[in-house]
Amino acid sequence: MATNALGLFHAPATALAAAGELKGAGFARPSLMSPIPIEGVEEVLGENKSVIKRFTFFGAIFGGVSGFLLAAGTAVLYVHPTGGRPIITIPPFLIITYELTILCGILATVLGFFISSRFPAIRERVYVPEAAVDKFAVTVVCDDTESFRRAEAILRGAGAEEIRELTEEGS
Amino acid sequence: MQSDARDISYADVNRDVVRSLVETGRTYYITLATAITVTLVCFFFPWFYQLYYGLGAAGVNHPGVWGTYLASFIFWIGLSHSGTLLSCVLHITNSSWRKAMYRSAEAMTLFSLVVAATMVMVHLGRPWFVHWALPYPNQMELWPNFKSPLLFDVMAITTYVTGSSIFIYMGTIPDFAAVRDRTTGWRHHMYVLLSLGWRGTDTEWNRLGWAYTFLAVLIIPLAVSVHSIVSWDFALSIVPALHQTIFAPYFVVGAIYSGTAGIVTVMYMLRKYMDFGQYITKLHFDNLGKLLLVLSLIWTYINVLELFTGWYSGTSTEYEALNYKLFGYYAPLYWEMILFCAVAPLLLISKRFRTSFVPMLILSILINIGMYTERFLIVGTSLSRQYLPDAWGLYVPSLVEISILIGSLGLFVTLFMLFVKIFPSISIYEVKETLPEPEDAPDPAPQIGAPEWQPTR
Repeated sequence: MATNALGLFHAPATALAAAGELKGAGFARPSLMSPIPIEGVEEVLGENKSVIKRFTFFGAIFGGVSGFLLAAGTAVLYVHPTGGRPIITIPPFLIITYELTILCGILATVLGFFISSRFPAIRERVYVPEAAVDKFAVTVVCDDTESFRRAEAILRGAGAEEIRELTEEGS
Repeated sequence: MQSDARDISYADVNRDVVRSLVETGRTYYITLATAITVTLVCFFFPWFYQLYYGLGAAGVNHPGVWGTYLASFIFWIGLSHSGTLLSCVLHITNSSWRKAMYRSAEAMTLFSLVVAATMVMVHLGRPWFVHWALPYPNQMELWPNFKSPLLFDVMAITTYVTGSSIFIYMGTIPDFAAVRDRTTGWRHHMYVLLSLGWRGTDTEWNRLGWAYTFLAVLIIPLAVSVHSIVSWDFALSIVPALHQTIFAPYFVVGAIYSGTAGIVTVMYMLRKYMDFGQYITKLHFDNLGKLLLVLSLIWTYINVLELFTGWYSGTSTEYEALNYKLFGYYAPLYWEMILFCAVAPLLLISKRFRTSFVPMLILSILINIGMYTERFLIVGTSLSRQYLPDAWGLYVPSLVEISILIGSLGLFVTLFMLFVKIFPSISIYEVKETLPEPEDAPDPAPQIGAPEWQPTR
């Protein structure tokens, strides 16, 4: 059964260097857990592409189209002629379009965030509470005892204060 | 920025914020009990009285049909403006001084919006039919009119409440996780749910960063649109002194102005009563003071421009409205507004004033009194002097209206007091970002797992 080697570090730079060494040693992409976002993770571990922008973009487009259709459709369904003015009037309907563009953009962004971050977490995942305070943790999946030992040696060599072996359930 | 206190450690930030959530003193309970009592006695009781006896219990009547309810509505919407808007602008411009104060400012936005929406309900004669303003198919074929500024309002405010709530929640998820690990009992369960399983992995930070920035970018134009739309409730009428193109920027600037003053008030209270002196420093008051000064100058410019436009129009109705505003029945209120919002803020030129906490508190309160007066005058003076003299009349608020105005303040304070015990009032992770990064060598500070890190009930 695959386990996770977890090393606790005091400084973000050391943790990041350790993660880079693990990656260079052929391990699957290590993960960093930290109390603050760490600068330069992508330079060391590679680009971490996010789909959120697509959610935002298509959500906003959907909102804009539905906003205009809502206003224009309502005007067509319930015709209320006023002084010979057009039934579908662009300037006021643009305001509704604008508001719904933003509303749906916001909601889609949240949906994108939840999906891409796998929130809410249903099952237990590898976690150490210290990483929410002042420690920086590096975790990497190890297929067997041998690879755990290798990871442990790399983490210790990089300056880890503590090494733990964790499974997804036993975190 | 940064924080004045350089000797704060990451662990200190967690401890101080968790303490503010779990340790509650007598002052808090007394304030909360007072706020709830004021809300019940001054807000809900007169409102039910008005519902029972009809809208006649309020002083609104022809021609002053809007009265303090609409003035309060604009005021609270205005107060909501700076929190989220300022937070978004400062986030995008990467201004680190925002980090210790934005959470409470955003909460101010949210609760101001709630109170503003409640004021609309109070102004409705039959609030149980409020759903008629929403677009949904129904058997009466009652469709809302999307060409009306009132419908623009419904859409804009709904979007703003939704956006602001999501923005404040998203920014707090990592802090909920930090608090989750240090609490027990019902609090722990609540924070487990609110934190959604946040672990602080690099992927989660990456996603949060993207989402948060996108939300900020979406909310900035939204916030500007909301108060522009509120201004169109008035500017799209043909009432003299209201029918002006300057109204949208006038309202937006006024809203940001009063909202920023509101933030100063809230920051003072948090600093004093939540013991956040280490995090909310003179730097914040200094920067907010500079912002207030700039806003007061812009606001003053627009006010002068409004007078000039009325004079330059050369029409008798505009002259009458202008004359009435400057020298009529409500003129003392006008000059009070000028004193509080245009003259007194000139004190902010002095750095010594900007970095003095009590004077800043007093000025922020005066500015908001002036800004409430401004909203009252927009509603009061314009409706009192329309085209024909037989349509002229005075509006004086009744006891019910005055009571509800005071009660709305109680409602806001109640909601805010509950907030500070559920949401971390300052952002744990963003304050940490402003501190020096930990070096390789461990410091002698208490380590994780030591007794002081045991969960706190």
